[in-house]
Order: sequence, then structure tokens, then C-alpha cells
Amino acid sequence: MALTLKQQLSSPGGILKFLVKYNTIFIFILLVIFSALISDVFFTSVNLSNLLKQVSGIGIISIGMLIVILTGGIDLSVGSMVALLAVTFAILINIFIAPVAILLTIAIGFGLGSISGYLVAYQKMAPFVATLALMTIARGMGFIYSKGSPVTFTTVGGQFMSDFANNSTLGIPNIAIVFFLIVIMAMVMLRYNVFGRLIIAIGSNEEASRLSGIKVNKYKFLVYAISGALAATAAIIVASRTNLGSPNMGMAWELDAIAAVVIGGASLNGGRGTAINTLMGVLILGLIGNILNLLNVPSYPQQVVKGAIIIFAVLLQRFESK
Amino acid sequence: MKNSEYEYRLEMTGISKSFGVVSVLKNVNLKVKKGEIHALLGENGAGKSTLIKILSGVHQKDSGSVVLDGTEITPKNTHQGQILGINVVYQELSLVNDLSVAENIYLHKLGANKTWMNWKGLIQDAQELLDSLGFKIDASVKVKQLSIVQKQVVEIAKAISEDTKVLVLDEPTTVFDPNDIQKLFKILFKLKAQGVSIIYISHHLDEVFTIADAVTVLRDGVDTGSMPIAETDKDGVIRLMIGRELKDLYPKRDVKIGDVPVFEVKNLTAKDTMVHNVSFNVKPGEVLGIAGLGGSGRTETAKLIFGADKKKSGTLILEGEEIKTNSPVDAAGYQIGFVSEDRKEEGVFLPLSIRRNISVTSFDSISSKLGFINIEHEYKKVLNLIEKLNIKTPNSEVDVKNLSGGNQQKVALAKWLSIDSKVIFIDEPTRGVDVGAKIEIYNLINEVAKKGVGVVVISSDMPEIMGISDRILVMHEGTLYGELKKEQFSEENILRYSIGEPLKAI
Repeated sequence: MALTLKQQLSSPGGILKFLVKYNTIFIFILLVIFSALISDVFFTSVNLSNLLKQVSGIGIISIGMLIVILTGGIDLSVGSMVALLAVTFAILINIFIAPVAILLTIAIGFGLGSISGYLVAYQKMAPFVATLALMTIARGMGFIYSKGSPVTFTTVGGQFMSDFANNSTLGIPNIAIVFFLIVIMAMVMLRYNVFGRLIIAIGSNEEASRLSGIKVNKYKFLVYAISGALAATAAIIVASRTNLGSPNMGMAWELDAIAAVVIGGASLNGGRGTAINTLMGVLILGLIGNILNLLNVPSYPQQVVKGAIIIFAVLLQRFESK
Repeated sequence: MKNSEYEYRLEMTGISKSFGVVSVLKNVNLKVKKGEIHALLGENGAGKSTLIKILSGVHQKDSGSVVLDGTEITPKNTHQGQILGINVVYQELSLVNDLSVAENIYLHKLGANKTWMNWKGLIQDAQELLDSLGFKIDASVKVKQLSIVQKQVVEIAKAISEDTKVLVLDEPTTVFDPNDIQKLFKILFKLKAQGVSIIYISHHLDEVFTIADAVTVLRDGVDTGSMPIAETDKDGVIRLMIGRELKDLYPKRDVKIGDVPVFEVKNLTAKDTMVHNVSFNVKPGEVLGIAGLGGSGRTETAKLIFGADKKKSGTLILEGEEIKTNSPVDAAGYQIGFVSEDRKEEGVFLPLSIRRNISVTSFDSISSKLGFINIEHEYKKVLNLIEKLNIKTPNSEVDVKNLSGGNQQKVALAKWLSIDSKVIFIDEPTRGVDVGAKIEIYNLINEVAKKGVGVVVISSDMPEIMGISDRILVMHEGTLYGELKKEQFSEENILRYSIGEPLKAI
């Protein structure tokens, strides 16, 4: 039943239901308040912009992960793809002018993602297996092309990219702006475009989609290719920030991306999830890391807290679906 | 043994069962003697399966009593039923594909009371059992390597590997050839001689009259008769199985049916299913019914035409031109619609809103070239359909999982009605739908026909298919067995064709 906000809140247990329904945003706000109370440094522009810079790369691949998960799949290759594509971009920027290097890198990302997409959609391979293989291949190729050590930017184009990645516009880091633009694009595509509607339909009932005359294979193929292109975008950003492409980049990022999507309330069975909630998931994960850093908590306990937050968020969603 | 003290080994008396508001069994009695083969007959949906599931412990009865060898029993699950000596071989096979034949046969005993398995002994026992049944099956191979007939035999072996008092066989012979059937009958006679009571469910009256000692007939959840087989004949049994009155449930349709078929199928044969040599046509404005028993290939035929299953040979002709439908995408492109019988699994998107469900097939008309949806347009279209189909919902954003069965079905229909179809296949249009919604769905079908669409309705509900069709095709064992014109419509005629009998001469 659709009720107005007022009705929802005044019904028995209404406030609780409301909080559960919007739990991702609620947890995010709580964390912001908690962080602000506990640390003086938190609400400084330096800290906030650092936070945004830190999450942008993982944020972008999380959006790719979201659209794959919406179809009921998973993409384990994105972390390794970031490494391979960062190396690729570093090599390309030293040869071509920046726009060409960017476009080529994104095209290569799209191509690599297409391999997973082909294996899943047309060869009916389990997404977990296909992308696991791609993950290993991409990581290995990253090391091969870089000969095991980071490739540094040496050209004017590289300098330009590095400046762009480390500067801000109107107080917002440029790379965060790129991330937010991608989130907005995803929101629009998922809500108002046929592409988004169909991948959600496929994820919620693949057989019904097939029998509705939807080109199921084509869309399953496309989501992996797009995830690859987004991994390339993330790779360009992280490489530009540090002025180099290293085969060690993006280590285990696929897991953080999955965590962000899941905290954002998406179902791993497909068919449920939104871009805005994934953004919240990304920010929540980033915030936890940030506040624990400010509190000087060492990195191992940080991982424990992260895990606990994932469990908590998913239990809340279980409560919601009841 | 004590058993002989009682006239009946199994006495089910006054069994009633409802699922929600739907009453499936009303005061049903079934009495089976020791060493008797008792046939249980009835149309699809008459309540046979539910009665058996109550006996075996899958379902719990609402009232009535089940007495086995003089003791009242109330099995809470199939395991308890098996311990009491009740074993059922269901139509849907329940074997574990990745285990060996022997492991499957003794699945319920694996690991009982023992730390170590005696694999050799297990396979030996299973092999002896299978050999005694007269079928050549290697007990050590995995079940997935077996043919469907062999699987059925393993299923039977599994059921009789225990101390069985009552053995239930639900349509055991649908996949058997005559030779296999004879072997099965031999097994049954042997079991009968050992004192096992057998309940035999079948649509093949020939078989029933060959092996059964007694028969009980169900119709609409009521037992309409129970007697020794010698006291009745095929016609008598058929009369007990049908005999409902056609209620005024079916709105009149005033449509001029075109002369030239809009859609034609010639010699269609499937690659992976039993469907073969199917030929028919449907004219614009016509409602063509396809009847037949469950498993006769009706749904498979529709799916084959729609491109969901693979074809081996055959021709499809739409408006005079030959078309190829290798996938549902092709079929939908030719404006062929298909509403699945399995609403929840194949029809609707349960977690999505009504709007998102209905729009799925009609994006072409409500979106720009780049795929951006005109939301205003979408709402208008969806709200219009909700009103027209009388879908009971506060608004278009309600998830389909929260709707009643009838309203879910209307959403599934709306998906295809929202685009202009030339032919539409509707499989079980009103299964699990209440009477009110049924009439609305029939009205809808009439409206679609009025637009000049060729409508093909598949239904197991006899009054329904007679009430709404202009012509009925009856399927039997994968092909069309006969065609009935309106003046020939009767449950008896449909049933005769469905079980492969000729019509009675008038």
C-alpha cells in the first residue's frame, strides 16, 4: 500500500518501519553525526575532500558492480582490471595525447569486460567463474606489461591528468565530480532508460524476461562490458592521482565494491538495487575507514568493523523485506 | 498376521482439505483392500493428487480419518508415511541425478545406524531388486545417465525397496511404451500377490480396466463413485468423471471470424520434447481452444511456436508469409504473444511494480530512440490498462507479489495486451483465479478477439475451454488427436480424444 510520509510515520511502529526502509541513508547520517562528534578534524575541508578522493575509484567500479549484480551476476575481475588498465593508461599517456589515451583505455576496458560478458551470456558460464578467471588474467597481464614495477607518467599530458586528478572545482575534488556524474548517469539510466528497466527485469526473473521477448543475452553481455569500461575510468583516476600505473593497484577492490553494493541494499539474486543507495554504501564504507583513521585505530581492527557493518546492514534489510 | 482381521487395509473416510479459501477435497472416501489394485480416476484438478499427498504426509487433512490396518494414522511428513509403509511414486521424478542408481534406491537408509557404508552390498542389493523387476539397469551408474523410462523404474524400485503396505503410482506409464507397460503390470501383479495394496492413478482407461480390481472416481473434490471394476465400464467411468453443468460464466462474444487464417502451423516437430507433427490454423477473431491432459504437449507446443523451445522441423505462416521464430525475441518481433501457465516463474516479475511489469513489452511505443522512457506516457498507458482490466490496486507502484492470483494474472495478460499482437497464446488463462476475476479475463479475451487477433487458449478446465472457444483441438501424447466443432463440444468428447479414444458413434 502506498501511504504518504505522514501516514507511514503515524501508523503503529511507523517510525521504525520508516527507518528500516531508508536504513542506508539513515546509517550514513548517523555515521556523519557520530564522526563529527567524535573528531574535531572530521568536518574540515581537507579531511572531507580526502575522503571523497579515497572513495571515488572504488565508487566508480561499485556502479559497474551494481548493474552486473542487478542482472543477478557478479564481476570479480574489476579490481585486477583497475591494475591492468592503470598500467595500460600510464603506457598510453606516455605515447598519445590525453584524450586519445583516455578513450583507448576505456575502449580496452570495455573489450576486456566483453570477454566476461561473452562467457556469461553466450557460453552460459557462471558469472563467478568467468570473472574469477578474468580477475587472474588481468592481474597477471598487469604485471607482464609493467614488468612488475610501476609505470610513471613522463609527458605533458600525464602532468595535465595528474593536475586534474588532484585539484578541486568549487571545493569538490575533480575526481569526485567524475564519480558523482557517473552516479547520476546510472540513476537516470536505471530509472528512465529502457536499458536500466530491462536489466532489472532480467535480474528479477530471467525466464519471464526471455518469454517477454527481451534480448536477455545482449543485456547480460552489455553489463559486463560496461563494468569493464567503468573499471577503466576508475583506473585512469587512480593512476592520475598518483602519477603512475602500478600492477598492485585495486587489490581486493572487487570485494569492497560488492560490499558497497550490498550495504546499499541491493540483492545478490538480482533485480533490486539503486545507484543512490550504492553511493551511500560507498560513502559508508569510506566514512568508517576515515573515522577509524582519525581515531588512530590500526588497519586490522578496521577490517573487523567493516565486516560487522556489512552484517548489520544486511540483517536490517532482511527485516525490511519481511 | 493381524491384517486379515480388517476388511480394508486402508480406509480414508470423510477427508476434507482446503487451501486458503479454495476447497479441494470435500468429504472424500477411499477404501482399499489388502492385495488390491485400486484405480483412482478423475480429471485434472479433481483432487487426486491432494488426496494422495494427504495419505503420504505431504499435506495435512482438515478433517476425516485415515486408518491403516485398523489403526488411525496421521503422518506429518513423507518420512513418517514411509515408516508406516506408505510409498508414493509421483509423476515428477524425485531422484538425485548425481548419485548412483543404488544410492538413490536406498537414499532413505544411507548412513542409518552405521559409521561405514557397505557400498558393495548396497549396489548388490539394488541390482538384485532391479533384476527382479525385469528391467536391465546397472545399479552402479549415475541416475543422470538413465533414460526417463529407466528413471521411472528406479523410482518404483525405490518405493518397493521398503516394507510397503500401500504403494501409490501417479501416472506411472506416461513415458512407457506398451512393452514396458506389460513389464510394469507384471511387477504390480507380483506385488499384489505379496499382499501389497496398490493405488493406481491413470488417465488411460484401457490400463485401468486391464489391471484394477476396483475403482474410485473423483470430480471437483468429491468422490462420485466407488465400485469393483467388474460392475462398471469405460462409459460408466467417464460419466462419473464429468457431468457438471455449464454455468453462465462465459460471456457471449459477437465477433465475425475471418475466413483467411492469420496464423498457420504445419507439421511442427520439437527437438527436445514429445511434440510432433502438429498442424493447425487460427483465424482472425477466432478463439481456438487446445485441450488435452497434463503432459500431452499443449504447453510445449505453444512454447515451440513462441521460440522458447527448439524446433526440429515444421513451418509457421503468419498472414500468408513464412516466418522463423528461433527465440522469443523473434516471436515478439512478429507480434506473437505468449502468456505462460506458470505465472510466478515465467509470467510476471513478482518483486517489481505493476507499472514496471506491464511496460516490459511495450518500450518501443513509450521511449525515444536512445531508450529514454516518456514517463508521463508510461503512466498514462499503465493506468489505462489497470482501469480497463480492473486490476484491484491502489496505484501502479504496488509490487506484483502483493496482488492476488487473479490480479497477477491480469498483469501478465496486460503485458501482451498493451502491444498490438496478431496471435496470442494464453496458457491456462484462469488457473488459481477466483470466479469474479475469471469472468473479467474472459471478457478481456473476447475484446482481444474482437480486434481481429487470433487467440489460442490452452486450458485443462473443461467447462472453460468449451465456454470460450469457437473450436477445440485435443492433444494426446504430443500431437493433435482430434478437432471438435462447436456443436460437438462435450466433456465426454474432449476426454475421449484426450485419452486416445474415438468419439462414440451417435
